[in-house]
Amino acid sequence: MTDLAKTDLAKTDLAKTDLAMTELPVLVVGGGPAGVAAAVALAEAGLRVLLIEQRDRLGGAIHRQPAVGAPQIWRGPARHRRNWAELASRLEHVAERIELRTSTVFLGIDGAGRFLFDDRMAGRVFARPVRAAIVAVGAVEKIAPFEGWELPGVMSAGGAQVLLKETGRPPEGPIVVAGSGPLLLAVAAQLARAGNPPLAVLERGRPWHKPKALARLMTAGAPLAEAASYAAVLALKRVPCHVGSEVLGVSETGQGLTIRVRAGSAESLLQARHLLIHDGLEPNRAGIPLPAPGAEVPVLLAGDGREILGADAAILDGQRAASAVLSRLGHAASAAPLEAALSKARNFQLALAEALRSKATPPTPQTMLCRCEGRRYADFAALPADASAREIRLMGRFGLGACQGRFCGPMLAELRGEALPTANPPRWPLRPVSVAALANFSTDETES
Amino acid sequence: MARSPSLHVAVIGAGIVGAAAAHFLAAAGARVTLLDASGPAAGATGASDGAVSVASKKPGPMMDLARHARAFYGSCEADGLLRGLFHRRSTFLVARTRLEAELVAEHGADLAAAGERVLDVDRPTLLNRIPGLGDGVCFALEIPDDGHALGYEITQRLLQRSAVTVRRNAPVSEIVMRAGQAVGVTIRDELLPADAVLVAAGIGSVGLLGLGDILIPRKGQMVVTDRAAAGRPAIDGHLMAASYLAAKRGIVRDNAHIGLVIDPLVTGQFLIGGSREDHRADQATDAATISAILRDALDLYPPLRQRRVLRTFAGVRTASRDGLPIVGPHPHLGGVTIATGFEGDGICLGPFMGASAARMILGEAPGVDLSMLAPQRFSRAEALA
Amino acid sequence: MNPCFYWIDRPVSFRPGETVAAALLRAGIADLSPEGGVVRGRVFCCIGACQACVVAIAGEGAVEACLTPARSGMRLSPQPSLGLRHD
Repeated sequence: MTDLAKTDLAKTDLAKTDLAMTELPVLVVGGGPAGVAAAVALAEAGLRVLLIEQRDRLGGAIHRQPAVGAPQIWRGPARHRRNWAELASRLEHVAERIELRTSTVFLGIDGAGRFLFDDRMAGRVFARPVRAAIVAVGAVEKIAPFEGWELPGVMSAGGAQVLLKETGRPPEGPIVVAGSGPLLLAVAAQLARAGNPPLAVLERGRPWHKPKALARLMTAGAPLAEAASYAAVLALKRVPCHVGSEVLGVSETGQGLTIRVRAGSAESLLQARHLLIHDGLEPNRAGIPLPAPGAEVPVLLAGDGREILGADAAILDGQRAASAVLSRLGHAASAAPLEAALSKARNFQLALAEALRSKATPPTPQTMLCRCEGRRYADFAALPADASAREIRLMGRFGLGACQGRFCGPMLAELRGEALPTANPPRWPLRPVSVAALANFSTDETES
Repeated sequence: MARSPSLHVAVIGAGIVGAAAAHFLAAAGARVTLLDASGPAAGATGASDGAVSVASKKPGPMMDLARHARAFYGSCEADGLLRGLFHRRSTFLVARTRLEAELVAEHGADLAAAGERVLDVDRPTLLNRIPGLGDGVCFALEIPDDGHALGYEITQRLLQRSAVTVRRNAPVSEIVMRAGQAVGVTIRDELLPADAVLVAAGIGSVGLLGLGDILIPRKGQMVVTDRAAAGRPAIDGHLMAASYLAAKRGIVRDNAHIGLVIDPLVTGQFLIGGSREDHRADQATDAATISAILRDALDLYPPLRQRRVLRTFAGVRTASRDGLPIVGPHPHLGGVTIATGFEGDGICLGPFMGASAARMILGEAPGVDLSMLAPQRFSRAEALA
Repeated sequence: MNPCFYWIDRPVSFRPGETVAAALLRAGIADLSPEGGVVRGRVFCCIGACQACVVAIAGEGAVEACLTPARSGMRLSPQPSLGLRHD
């Protein structure tokens, strides 16, 4: 992969050739399983690909590779390692057709149709013309807010997992894992195997009360085996796992956190250094413009950024998106039977959601909803019931902060019972960008 | 005070002007329904800087009106209506070339002639007020009596403090006339009866009244940064470049021209604008324009280098053909009053103009002579016929 | 010996290839709140989405600690206030 990073097709002056349009690359945003699978499929079909990854190497959240010299204490399920090794090897074979830009953040599409990128190393925003785009930027974690979730010491469970994969080391000090979803078990087991078993895992849902959904899950195969292995680790390390239990609030005390926990109708306090929270996943779609199906430059979503189907399905979904782009561009696309596998993954996710379905205790007036702007539930409750999207943004200052609504958006959708309408036209930059880097943008470059 | 307790006014457009008119009509006892295709502050009001600035106005009636309008903010602040939402702050008119310095000096003389306090600022004083200001700034004037208000906060307050019925998602397709007199408005399939109609719909007024030859959209692209300070303006004044004055004085008319202002918001963020793109009514922003704005802003105020852009957005100013707002009774449609065409000056002029339009609807004379804004002035020409 | 960067004035060692976020957390530095105290800051999502771990690199500007590879000698701090008024 390091060789690929050096691959540089940028010198070719494409704009001056007659073949400029057909030689333009297909953009793939995101170097996780969906993005890499899409890039490989496109390149194997003979197309040029521009693959953009925000980090300094490929992998995404699920296949995050350890930093050089990090201890390899725990390496994730063998299935994931095999999948990634296979993608990496296919990538090597078509490396000459893939221009990989790491440490580069996709900023969106501007009003003139430019695809914009923030090259973090060069400190410069650049634009590149592309034939089509596949955006595979994964998921963001949902958070059911409670008082104090915004404090230092509280981290998302997925974030903690990424760090663990990178560093090979768990955070020091007592850890509590709470919220809802299969990731809680996975992270807790991985922490345990890395040497710091959590004090407790608190799952809000009560899967034992949903026998039908559980029965559907029993047919899942690989994911089920993975879950069983996590449960075995947690049992071995004697990590207490509670269902029907949730965090009501957290406060800072000295070096750590005091966590108020509800189990049934009983409340208790836990002391910990870290609280890892997670309440499911949401496609990371904020601000991604999806043009009409017939648009000149098609933009497709792939992977968990399109629909939460998990890491295995993300590879298939990347291939599906690549096939769609290939047929749009008049290439023969492999008609591999992907839909059946995707639909199986969907059924699994639906059964999982049903098994864990639960309602979080409503936020108190003081509960932070928007960490970026410091806006609380009381600020949201003060808005008129029929407030327009614009009023929620301007008067409520929700969705106006640096995360651009990626965290408060799903919270407000849950509280309102409907999704927040998105800005129209979709706003770029998709992510905050340095004033200096954007000032460095110049229109006369088509290659950078 | 309510002289027509049964009067029902339909106000079309819940921007700052419509909200102010609705507020003052209701305060005088009228029954008011405020209609908006989207919701309060959905148009230019929610997509503008918050300059309540006399310093930026073209000499002549606009400069005089802005002085009245700013004083009106002051009195509304003092009487509690807008308490906490209007802040006094200086505007700095800054020049980076000799030519610009001449323009700033000329504008300063015009402001002084209109009765405005204008202070010379030498570079050391200026650097003390705005640390980090660019090396290129060679001349500056301070206009100390200007102010700042956020259009959407003003709109919200005006509506909170009144009994106006606000109807969101209520696009008005037609003003219903009977025997030359407005009798209501049509919202989808619904007829809303009204005794009087105020059209304060910005560029939306074009379709309702057939003002396509009189009103033009002028798009402005802007940038908001992250916080440079916590909960207060990051610098001690509004930076207005000579390029902005050149545009406002009509010296430059070019869609690629950047009239630079750096507006320190009370949140600690900066709002940086902007372009002036005639006949553009879309709200898209583009990297070429935004980066040009930022390059100019960095030249004027290099500490912005450490900031990040949180979002870009565009607002659509509604400008009239002769550059003056259109406020007053429609010359032919009885019971219809117009208040639009405020271009980029709506936040400054809005509350005052809304209050003035309310007085006109109630049959009172506005506090100052607004005859130069009367829609009548266009009626000899092709439209408003 | 591992290379190091500075958090305010404190040296923080890191392994080559590690992010700023990983190194800060290993050093026990969890509170990344910006100056001025409107909001709190900390490493949270680790994928560049939540913007809660944004820190300032002296001479460069603000970056997400979770996305930024640590470099030897870099000087980091909470996001600063600038253009302070004299009042």
